[in-house]
Amino acid sequence: MDSPEQKITKTVSREDASKESMANSRHVIGIHFCGPTPLVWRADELKSARELGIIGTLVGSLARQPRQNTRLGRPLELLPEEGRLLADMGRAAVIPDSTNEDPEVNPEQVEQYHAGLENSFQEQGAMVLADRKTTLLRVMTEKHNEDSGSQEDSDGAVRDRLEALEHGFSFPRTAMAVQLCTARAGLSHCPEVRRFLAADWPTPRDERSETRFRVFRDLRRQGFYLTSAGKFGGDYLVYPGDPLRFHAYFIVVCISMDESMPLCDVLAIARLGSNVKKTVLLCSSGESQEDDREEVVYTSLQWSGMV
Amino acid sequence: MADQNKTSAKVEFGNELLNPSELFEARTRSHKIPVRGQKDFIPTGADQQRDRLQQSLDEHWNLVSEERVERLGNLVKAVWIPSDMIVELQSPAGKFWQTMGFSAHGKQCLHPEEALYLMECGNLQVFYQDLPLSIQEGYERFLYSKTMSIQHYQVFGHLKRLGYVVNRFDPSSVPSQYERQLNLPQSRDRSGRLPKRKHSHSPTSRHTGTQEGPTSKRMEEEKDCNREEEDKNPDSLPDLSAPDIDEIQTASHVDPTTSTEGGQGRSWWSKEGSPEPDSELPGQPQSSPRWDFSSIPFPDLGSRRWLPSSLTSPDPCLLPGAVGSVGACDVAPWLQRLNLREVRMSRREWEREQDRDRYRRDIKQDREVRRCRNWAEYQELQERRIQRSRRDRPAHLWEGPVTPLHDPAQVTSTGELLDKISVIKSTRLLEGASSLKGSEEWRICFNIYQPDTVAEFKKSAPGKPYSRMCVCSFDGPVPDLWTLKLLAFQSGDVPVTYAVVDHGDISFYSFKDFQIPTDVSF
Repeated sequence: MDSPEQKITKTVSREDASKESMANSRHVIGIHFCGPTPLVWRADELKSARELGIIGTLVGSLARQPRQNTRLGRPLELLPEEGRLLADMGRAAVIPDSTNEDPEVNPEQVEQYHAGLENSFQEQGAMVLADRKTTLLRVMTEKHNEDSGSQEDSDGAVRDRLEALEHGFSFPRTAMAVQLCTARAGLSHCPEVRRFLAADWPTPRDERSETRFRVFRDLRRQGFYLTSAGKFGGDYLVYPGDPLRFHAYFIVVCISMDESMPLCDVLAIARLGSNVKKTVLLCSSGESQEDDREEVVYTSLQWSGMV
Repeated sequence: MADQNKTSAKVEFGNELLNPSELFEARTRSHKIPVRGQKDFIPTGADQQRDRLQQSLDEHWNLVSEERVERLGNLVKAVWIPSDMIVELQSPAGKFWQTMGFSAHGKQCLHPEEALYLMECGNLQVFYQDLPLSIQEGYERFLYSKTMSIQHYQVFGHLKRLGYVVNRFDPSSVPSQYERQLNLPQSRDRSGRLPKRKHSHSPTSRHTGTQEGPTSKRMEEEKDCNREEEDKNPDSLPDLSAPDIDEIQTASHVDPTTSTEGGQGRSWWSKEGSPEPDSELPGQPQSSPRWDFSSIPFPDLGSRRWLPSSLTSPDPCLLPGAVGSVGACDVAPWLQRLNLREVRMSRREWEREQDRDRYRRDIKQDREVRRCRNWAEYQELQERRIQRSRRDRPAHLWEGPVTPLHDPAQVTSTGELLDKISVIKSTRLLEGASSLKGSEEWRICFNIYQPDTVAEFKKSAPGKPYSRMCVCSFDGPVPDLWTLKLLAFQSGDVPVTYAVVDHGDISFYSFKDFQIPTDVSF
């Protein structure tokens, strides 16, 4: 492992950072709980999280093609460890659920909504009309270039056709394009407001969650990217770089320092690792003897043969 | 290569609300998803790698940040009703109505998970308090109960996107095993009335074994039914005691009319026999079904010792009433049909017979058996013999509280012997399942129907599902045998699939019940 952290920062940092994305990186990411599951909804927050090395999993339908499972869209589901790490770093805040407030209709908002809809309708109508006019003009000038009729006649004809178009034009309401918002509108991006509203991160319930979190934090600190690994029989999959581009190196299995693991379990996980060409890491967290700090101990399993 | 939208080469995140010009532009959006390239194994820090990563990331943000834009005419309007936890449609439903939704008090309604799925597909716009709900609000409002959590919704959405028809599971709609045996047609209305059973004049069958007279007579002459019933009344015998050897029984209700009919008719014993005029029938009003077998001769035509030339006519009271009397039977043509030739064995076969007979004991020659006067005495003799043989067994084995499983002197087959010594008995999954009580933790959530049945799918008669789904997670406990039995029983004859949700990843598991074949040839 020659300083993967340096390499990682090289690949991620960009020189063409626009002002908006610079501002984004200072945003506080809002985490919304759906039951016990932490979710992130806004696309800019997903980006900020990824820049901090938090990958998560997309679990919603993709807007462009909702009826397929290969690529999913927002929301982004976070591992509890991911959310906790972001909260600890001060880069994310838990936004409490506000669905039970405001049980009555808010007439102001309704009026605003309808006004916005009407405005959009008018503008879209104008744009459609303009678009049709330009198309008509283009077609007619092409035709004019082909035949060599007199200039004045063609101009008159064009004017007549344009007028006919305006008179006969109708933009029905059903043809209007409407947006179905993904994220909830309204909450401001201001970090101070976010922090004000923020709730505490739910504390871990047991030793196992604590071990998992410590292992996660330590590996993240070393620059690795982590995702969940239930299908591989482990806790995390460890990537040297962004999972979009790289294969995973390790399967992490978190066990507590005092726990003894039966031999058949060790064999099973080692077999699995060798079948999928990844190294298995057994990780435990405990107190270091030397300087009383927490440290994480790693043991790797490699299947080797004796010839 | 990536199919980039030319108007926004750089991804801008700003506000997520689209202005009208953006909405207008969205009409010409591409609908293709770019293919992901191959992955690398080692990060080298090379520029090429970095550029490719950047390109992948840009594509990724393009797709993820895209908002849903739909023509207003394509959207179905609906309203969320939190008190009932359903979504009520306000404009007519589209194509999705064929497989989703239900009718409730005159209106078309959707379950929350169905509504959320349609919102994500861009087919439905749900309003609450006169404002449209965003997808986020849909998730937060529709998925807060334990019956439909975000894990359940993830499984629902995953299967729907693959094309399956997914409904909520209703335990009362599973036909019981008895109903399946009867192959009853499935109807939604379970309180259907049974068709009225017609009153049948079938006679109460009393001891039909001995009362052959009345039953067969009834079968042959239905027109005399009424007369028979009248006659039967004094015949009824509520209790049947052991046949009394001394009494002579008769079948009483033989009318003079029927007897003449029977007398005219058939002679069973010869082809052109002439029936003798039958004697007076002993018309005893009372009939008791007891036969005196000592006085009834049963001819033994195969016996070599006595070959009758003809058989006398049997007593008509022994025959079914309608037959009446039959003539004497000439035995000769029947004897011709029997093989009465003596068996001629070769010398070797004869010797073999002798060998076998040496060890076989003819029970009729057994003096002790001949001394038994009745069945009870014979059984006592058998008991005594068994006791005697038992005395040969070693006492330390057979007299203690624990005796051997099997006595080698007893004849048995290999299969039975193996059964006796088996410690583990094989069992089926559904054994003992009917007595299990329900569980809070493990429930069947959905019925799944295959995608190719969508064209003929009818919500009112969906038919047997392809599978039933139970949702759990890797964090929770593994389903134990008790759970497997419980859910398999609740599901009837439809297999149960377990969908395990792990932070967005879904794996499906199912358990099959099969028997290891036993190969016992004996």
